[in-house]
Amino acid sequence: MKLTTKLMALATSAVMALASPAFAEDWAPDGPLTIQIGFGAGGSTDTMGRVLAEVMKKNTGWNIVVENKPGGGGVAMFTGLSQRPVDNKTIGMGVSIPVLVQLVQRGDQLPFDTDSFDYLGTVAKAELALVASKDAPFDDLEGMIAYAKEQGSLPVATMAPPQVLMMNQTKSTTGADFNLVTADGGAEVMKLILGGQVMAGFGSGEHYPYLESGDMKVIAGANQSRLSYAPDVKTFIESGVNAYVDPIFFLAMRAGTDPAAIEAISSAIDEATKAPEFAKIVQNAVKGDPINMGTDGTKQMMVDGLANAKILFAK
Amino acid sequence: MVEFSTILAGFGDAFSLYNLAFVLFGVVLGQFVGAVPGIGPIMAMAIAIPFTFGLDPLPAIAFLVGVNKGGLVGGAVPAVLMNTPGTPDAAATALDGYPLAKQGKPLKATKMALFSSITGDTFSDIVLITVSAPLAVLALKMGPIEVVALMIFAFSILAGLIGNSLTKGIIAAAFGLLAASVGQDPENFTPRLIFGYWDLFDGLALPSVAIGMLAISEILHRLSEAHGNMRPAIIAKDTGNPDDRRVTWAEYWSCRFTMLRGATIGTILGALPGIGSTAAAFMSYAMTKAGSKDPGSFGKGNIQGIAASESANSAVVGANLIPLLTLGIPGSVGAALIISAFMIHGMQPGPLLFENQGRLVYGLFGAMIMANFVNLWVGQLGLRLWVKVVSAPESIIFSSALLLCFVGVSMATSGLFGVAIMLIFAVIGYLMASFGYSLVIFIIAFFLGPRFEKSIAQSLALTDGDLTQVLKSPVALALLILSVVSVVWFLRKNVHGEDE
Repeated sequence: MKLTTKLMALATSAVMALASPAFAEDWAPDGPLTIQIGFGAGGSTDTMGRVLAEVMKKNTGWNIVVENKPGGGGVAMFTGLSQRPVDNKTIGMGVSIPVLVQLVQRGDQLPFDTDSFDYLGTVAKAELALVASKDAPFDDLEGMIAYAKEQGSLPVATMAPPQVLMMNQTKSTTGADFNLVTADGGAEVMKLILGGQVMAGFGSGEHYPYLESGDMKVIAGANQSRLSYAPDVKTFIESGVNAYVDPIFFLAMRAGTDPAAIEAISSAIDEATKAPEFAKIVQNAVKGDPINMGTDGTKQMMVDGLANAKILFAK
Repeated sequence: MVEFSTILAGFGDAFSLYNLAFVLFGVVLGQFVGAVPGIGPIMAMAIAIPFTFGLDPLPAIAFLVGVNKGGLVGGAVPAVLMNTPGTPDAAATALDGYPLAKQGKPLKATKMALFSSITGDTFSDIVLITVSAPLAVLALKMGPIEVVALMIFAFSILAGLIGNSLTKGIIAAAFGLLAASVGQDPENFTPRLIFGYWDLFDGLALPSVAIGMLAISEILHRLSEAHGNMRPAIIAKDTGNPDDRRVTWAEYWSCRFTMLRGATIGTILGALPGIGSTAAAFMSYAMTKAGSKDPGSFGKGNIQGIAASESANSAVVGANLIPLLTLGIPGSVGAALIISAFMIHGMQPGPLLFENQGRLVYGLFGAMIMANFVNLWVGQLGLRLWVKVVSAPESIIFSSALLLCFVGVSMATSGLFGVAIMLIFAVIGYLMASFGYSLVIFIIAFFLGPRFEKSIAQSLALTDGDLTQVLKSPVALALLILSVVSVVWFLRKNVHGEDE
C-alpha cells in the first residue's frame, strides 16, 4: 500500500514536471537558451545578465546558460550573433552606445547593422556622470571650462570613445583645452581622481560610494536628461555643449527568429525585469530602476540612437 | 574607525562550522581546478558565482575565497610535476620545481610550493587586515608616471632571467610586446593587427597564449621525445631517505628571507591594480637568484626558487583585496569577480564599506584565515594524490592534459576561436623553445605589455609629452635610477658568468 502510494506520487509529480512548462508557455526552447554577454565577467552587464537569467530560469523552468563573449564593447559578440544560423535559442545582451559608435565609425567593416537583429527588450539605462574630487575648485561644467581656460589645460579621465568624443565636442564648442587620459574602466577613473592625477572623470556607477562618503561631487550629467540621483546638476546640453549619451542595456536575437520564440522570450524577460530581486541588482549596478522598452521600443531606440550617433560621432 | 566589538562579531560570524564547510568545499574545488591544466581558479570562480545566489553573503564569499586560495596552491601542481603551468604565474615555479620533481622528489617540490604559497598568502592577509587603509592611500599616489617607472624597473629585474644570449632574450621580449599590441589601441580605440577578426578586438586572450605557449608546447615537446615505450610521466624514486619526500624544518627555515622578500614583492604589486601575480613571481625569482651565493643551482631544482615564486604569486591575491575593499578598485580578474559577488549580495566595495558593512568585512577576513589553514591541510592530502596520478603512463597523462587544455581554453575564451589561437601559440612556443628563445620572457612581456602601453599613453596625455615632468616625481625618478643600476649589474654578472 505504502509503496503504491509512493509510486503514484512519483508518477504524478513526474507527469506534472513534464507538463508544467506547457501550461506556463505555448512555446518552449528545444534545449538550453544561451544568453551571450558582450562583456567580460564581473562587470555591470555581466552581473545584471546573470541575475536576469537566474530569475527567468526560476519563472519559466527553462534551462538558461550565460556565456561571456567580450570584445570591442559587445561588437565581437554581436558580430558572432549576426553570423550564426537562426536557432531560436541564442540571445545577445549588450549596451547600445558602444555598438552604435562602432556602427557609425566603421560600419563598412562590420558584418551587421541594426536590422540584423530582432530585439527582445531592454533592462536598464546607464547614467553617465562627470565627477570631480570634492576639493576641485569648480562645481559645474561651466566652472570647469572656465578653470581649464585659466590653467591652460585640465586633465580629465575617460573610459570609452563616446566620452572622448563628448570632451572633444566640449573643446571645440568652448575653446577650453583638456588632457584626455584614457582609463581601463570606471574603477581606474576613480583611482586617478582620488590620486589627484586628473581633475575630473566619467563614472557610470563606480562613483556612487564616493558621492555617499562626500569624497566626490557631480559636475555634469552626460545623459539627455538630468541624473536621477542628482537632479540639481545640469547636463552637458544645458551647459551649452550639444552632446549626450544614453547607454541602454538591451537583449536581441538574430533577425529571422521564430516570432513565437521572440514573444515567449521577450515576455519572460519582461516578467523578470519586474521581479524585486532583479530590481535590487539593477539598483546596485546603475542606481536606477529596471527599464523595459519592449520589442518595438527597443528597435526604435536603436534606430533613433543610430541617427543621433551619426550626428554626434561622425568623423 | 571600526569598533572592536564589530571586529569580534565579524570573526565570530565567520568561525562557524557552516562557513567552515563552505570554505572547505571551496578550497577542495579550487585546488582541484587549479591543478587540472587548462582550468584555472578564475574560471572556477566565474562558474561558481551563480551558485552562491541562494546563499547568505558570508558563506557565499567564504566559498569564493576558498576557491581562489585553493586555486593558488593547485596551480603549482602541474607546473612542478609536468612542467605544464596552467597559469603564467606558476611558470616561475616550474623553473626549479620541475627539475626537482625530475630528480625523483616530486613530493618535496610540491610541498615546498604549498608551504611557501601559504606563507606568502598569510603574510599578505595579515597586511590586508591590519594596515590596508594607509597602504591603499599610498597606492593611490602611484599615478601613471610612477607605474611606467615601476614597470621599467620590473623589466630591468627580469633581465636577470634572460640567460645566455642577450640577443635572443631581447627578441623574445620584443615578440611578446608585439603580440601584446594586437587589438584596439588604448588611446584612439583603433583596431590593430586584427586582420578582420573582431574576436581579436580586445587583444589575444591571455589563457590561449599562456596555455598554448607554456603547457601545450611542453606537451608537444614530450610527444616528440616519446618512442612508443610506456613510461610514467614522473618517477617518484624511493631513495629510502624520508627527507626526499618532505620539507624539513631546516629547509623551510633556510628559505625564510626568500619567502619574506617574495611576500613583500607580492604584497606591494598586489596593492597596485593591474600588474599582477606573474610579474611578482618572476621579480621575486630573479631577485632571489641574483642575491644567491650559488646562482648556478637555480633552474636545477633549488627549493629557494620554488619558495621565491610561490610566496610572491600567492601574496598578490590577498593584497589585491586592499584596493578592492578600501577603494572599490579591482586589482585583477579574480578581484573583479569578487566585486561582482559582493554586488550580487548587496555590498558596495569602497570608502564606506568598513563603516557600513564592517561586520561582514571582518567576517570575510575570518574566512580568509580559515581558508589558509584548510588550504594547508587539504594540500597535504591532495599532493600525495596528484603525485600518484601523475605517476601514470605518459601516454595517458599527456593526452588527458591536452584534452583538458582544449576544454579549459574553450571555456575561458568562450569558444573555439581561443582554441585556434592556443594551437598557433603552441607551435610558436615549441619552435621558440627548440631554438633556445625564452618562453618565459615572451610571456612576461606579453602579460605586462598592454598595461605598460596604457600607462605610457596616460603619462604622455597628462604631461603633454613633456618628459621633464618625470623629474617632478621623486618615486618615478628613484625607480628609473634603480632600473639602470639593476640592468648594469645584471649585465656585468652575466659577463662574469660566461667568463667562468
